[in-house]
Amino acid sequence: MRKIHSSVWLLAIFRISLGLVFLFAGIIKSQDIQSFADSMATFQVLPNVLINLLALSLPPFEVIIGGMLLVGWQTRAAALSIVFLLAVFIIVFCQALIRGLNIDCGCFGSEVPSLWKTWGALGRDLLLLVIAVWVYLQLNFSKALEEPC
Amino acid sequence: MLRDMLSFWIIGTASLCVGLLLNQFRDKPLSLVYQTKVERLQLAVTKIGTIQAARQIPEALPVSLSLDEFRSFAEQKRGLVLDARPELFHRLGHVPGAISLPREAFESGYAKLKAQLESDRSQPLVVYCSGISCEDSIMVQQALVKLGYTHVSIFRGGWDEWTDAGLPVEKAP
Repeated sequence: MRKIHSSVWLLAIFRISLGLVFLFAGIIKSQDIQSFADSMATFQVLPNVLINLLALSLPPFEVIIGGMLLVGWQTRAAALSIVFLLAVFIIVFCQALIRGLNIDCGCFGSEVPSLWKTWGALGRDLLLLVIAVWVYLQLNFSKALEEPC
Repeated sequence: MLRDMLSFWIIGTASLCVGLLLNQFRDKPLSLVYQTKVERLQLAVTKIGTIQAARQIPEALPVSLSLDEFRSFAEQKRGLVLDARPELFHRLGHVPGAISLPREAFESGYAKLKAQLESDRSQPLVVYCSGISCEDSIMVQQALVKLGYTHVSIFRGGWDEWTDAGLPVEKAP
């Protein structure tokens, strides 16, 4: 019983933390969309026709899913969205590191492109991914417990 | 899981719509197709004027000043020192006497300095930005050459080298 109780608290802490991180990241990005688009261009993954569309839609996406996690509405969908998003970020960082590209992550605003910062961003996103997957699984587990047999 | 994935797509589509809508209310809406920094600067140069627009950007590397050369240039006021960093950074601190000409807002920045710059297109100009990894100074230097300025140099060490050397800085009022 105590184990379930502590897991509920841990779930709430992680859910709110993830929500705050994504809400903050989305707001920071939306302050300077052009710089964010420039950061995305350094990844050399997307064609020019998609860079600005993604730069325009990603900050609202992060704000929406961050807000959903924070207020506790449709949390499973929000957690799954974060899992997808982080998985994409990790793949993009890995390809950049493999290709030896000097990129600017642009995760929390524009910075000077740096290899070490990319490794840092990769480590941070891996940690967030583990947390997001755990949150999503816990939310599914909680829902399964609530449903009648 | 399937329902969550459906929600993911709905949130994604809604975000795209919100992003496109908010973009219309920005001071400078983002174009739908991405333009590189160089392309945006070239567009600004084209808009500013075509007095000598036919001039080609020199292929050779631009004249680059060392810290000592730049320091003596700035202290003796032998010409104009131009700060290519964003205006916010310029306001927070810059080389004494430097004037802001941000790469990201070249067109509006140039319009403010038009009289001062166009009074003599052969006056010595030195452009700097954040530091060695920043390309804004090179881009602004090339844009000025394209506009017909004949003596434009850059200080590659930029703000980082200047402040690391403990040299005096000035803040915008």
